[in-house]
Amino acid sequence: MSKVLISILGQDQPGIIANVAGLIFSRKGNIENVSQTLLQSMFGALLIVSVPDNETPQALQEALQVTCAALNLFVHVEPYIAPAPNIKPDVQPYIVTAIGPDQPGLVWEIATQLARHDVNITNMQAIFKGTTKPLDNLMIFEVDVPRHTVMNDLRASLREISERLALDIKVQHRKIFESVSRIQN
Amino acid sequence: MLSDKEIISTLAMVMEENLDLRTVTVGINLTDCVSHDLATFRRKIYDKITGHARQLVPTCDRIAQRYGIAIANKRISISPIAVVGAPFGPEELVEVALTLDKAAIELGIDFIGGFSALVEKGMSNGDRSLIAAIPQALTQSSRVCASVNVASTRAGINMDAILLMGRIIKEASELTAAQDGLAAAKLVVFANIPQDIPFMAGAYLGIGEADAVVSVGVSGPGVVKRALERALAEEQGVDMSRIADVIKQTAARLTRAGELVGREVAGILNLPFGVVDLSLAPTPNVNDSIGEIFQTVGLPSIGSPGSTVFLAMLNDAVKKGGAFASSHVGGLSGAFIPVCEDLSIAEAVSNGSLVLEKLEAMTSVCSVGLDMVPLPGDTSAEMISAIIADEMAIGVINKKTTAARLIPAPGKKAGDTVRFGGLLGEGPVMAVNKGNQENRFIRLGGRVPAPIQSLVN
Repeated sequence: MSKVLISILGQDQPGIIANVAGLIFSRKGNIENVSQTLLQSMFGALLIVSVPDNETPQALQEALQVTCAALNLFVHVEPYIAPAPNIKPDVQPYIVTAIGPDQPGLVWEIATQLARHDVNITNMQAIFKGTTKPLDNLMIFEVDVPRHTVMNDLRASLREISERLALDIKVQHRKIFESVSRIQN
Repeated sequence: MLSDKEIISTLAMVMEENLDLRTVTVGINLTDCVSHDLATFRRKIYDKITGHARQLVPTCDRIAQRYGIAIANKRISISPIAVVGAPFGPEELVEVALTLDKAAIELGIDFIGGFSALVEKGMSNGDRSLIAAIPQALTQSSRVCASVNVASTRAGINMDAILLMGRIIKEASELTAAQDGLAAAKLVVFANIPQDIPFMAGAYLGIGEADAVVSVGVSGPGVVKRALERALAEEQGVDMSRIADVIKQTAARLTRAGELVGREVAGILNLPFGVVDLSLAPTPNVNDSIGEIFQTVGLPSIGSPGSTVFLAMLNDAVKKGGAFASSHVGGLSGAFIPVCEDLSIAEAVSNGSLVLEKLEAMTSVCSVGLDMVPLPGDTSAEMISAIIADEMAIGVINKKTTAARLIPAPGKKAGDTVRFGGLLGEGPVMAVNKGNQENRFIRLGGRVPAPIQSLVN
């Protein structure tokens, strides 16, 4: 058995998973892991699938494109090689929130400073409801901060952005959000 | 992955609803500092307090930044000075208070509590000296708080001590007449005092506690108010059960935040974690008031009919939420109804909606008692004692803590305003029924026997 990575993108509608999974099953493949998301009305998914040795990414992609033709989806299949298991880096999870109106360059400015301090973004959400309430205009970055990052330096870099772009940028450890929101953590 | 709702609701609690850690309090046991020599005793307590708590303020500042949640006050509670300073006379104990004050200033903390005596069943020499020292100790020091436990469900009510405390409160307030009797605002008389309160002015470290321990006091009346406003605006058919649920869930969330921060501070200071005291403790700011919660649920004002039943439910729901969220909930845990520290309560007193008698009735179902209550300057010591005795009776019979922090403001009459500044705030002077008269009943003294509720063994 070998593994492939399938990417699917398109307008959300009933039947996407049914069509894709049905085809994989008919070709004796097995879905091992999947992550899907919805952004407004757009559907996106990544699937790691084990396939028989006689299967090729190209053949599977063509078959999926035929099966999903009526759904008007972008489908891409490539070989998947699992990364060598490495020791989990010593990181602390933080939540960076930028409160203030949306503006071009906001994500770039913050992401650039996060990268400069070796901080890895693990998830992002944008909430811009267009009202004047502060918390209706929010960019959320879930990040992993490595041990060697100096928090005060990171905060200083973000403070510089917040002053220049008139944003309120907060850096808070993830545990405070989990503690007040979840029964178990 | 956190949901946007989880992130936004947490941010809102901190940014818009005044959630903060009201206090991180390090309890420090001073029993190993005892000495017959005053200078030795003062040096030992100073060294022990500053040694254990030297990193308290910087650690709290660091953790506050880490979680993005303010820690409003950093405090120390200590073993009752009447016990550890028992060999000393009143003048010497005033010196001890000044040593405590110096340690507090050195550490950058705002209050140190434990200038205290436990006299519910009788008074030792140390207790007498400490009580006699209180007026000068609280006048000459700025950050020392005193408390005296005069009653308990197991022991009954020490009426001799209560008679004495009426005079002590008068003396303390008269010594600080220029500040409207400020010294009396740092003195609390208790029934059933818990030995692990992190809140002032009643904090002290009980004899059964560890050598040093970190406890936290969480507040958040603004968070509760906002949660109730949301439920009432967005949901159909909200009834008392639903209101209790909302309070309970909110209390649980507040407690979780407090325990997280408290344990982290304790870990860094290498001290055991004690308790979370979840008390809805107001500050003199809008959206940080207990009284406003009463208006949110439809009462015209705190003090109007319906206030006692709502407070009973509020206090109970806060405790239930706290108990669910943490296995170590202690201190007072409930709702405070201080007159001076709460804008809305002060307003209710000013406009006549809340009178002393109704306030006393409400204390039978709140977590503390008559808190920060300014009284006319001509209230007699005996009447102050009588108010205390009534309040103690409520605690003793109901097996709960009650307290009286009464401030007879020199030269002020009912309706006047007193101003203490800072967290102690300002507020109107409450009228006392026949307040300037003598009260021969109080002079009877002796002990009110322990109630039948005490015979539980």
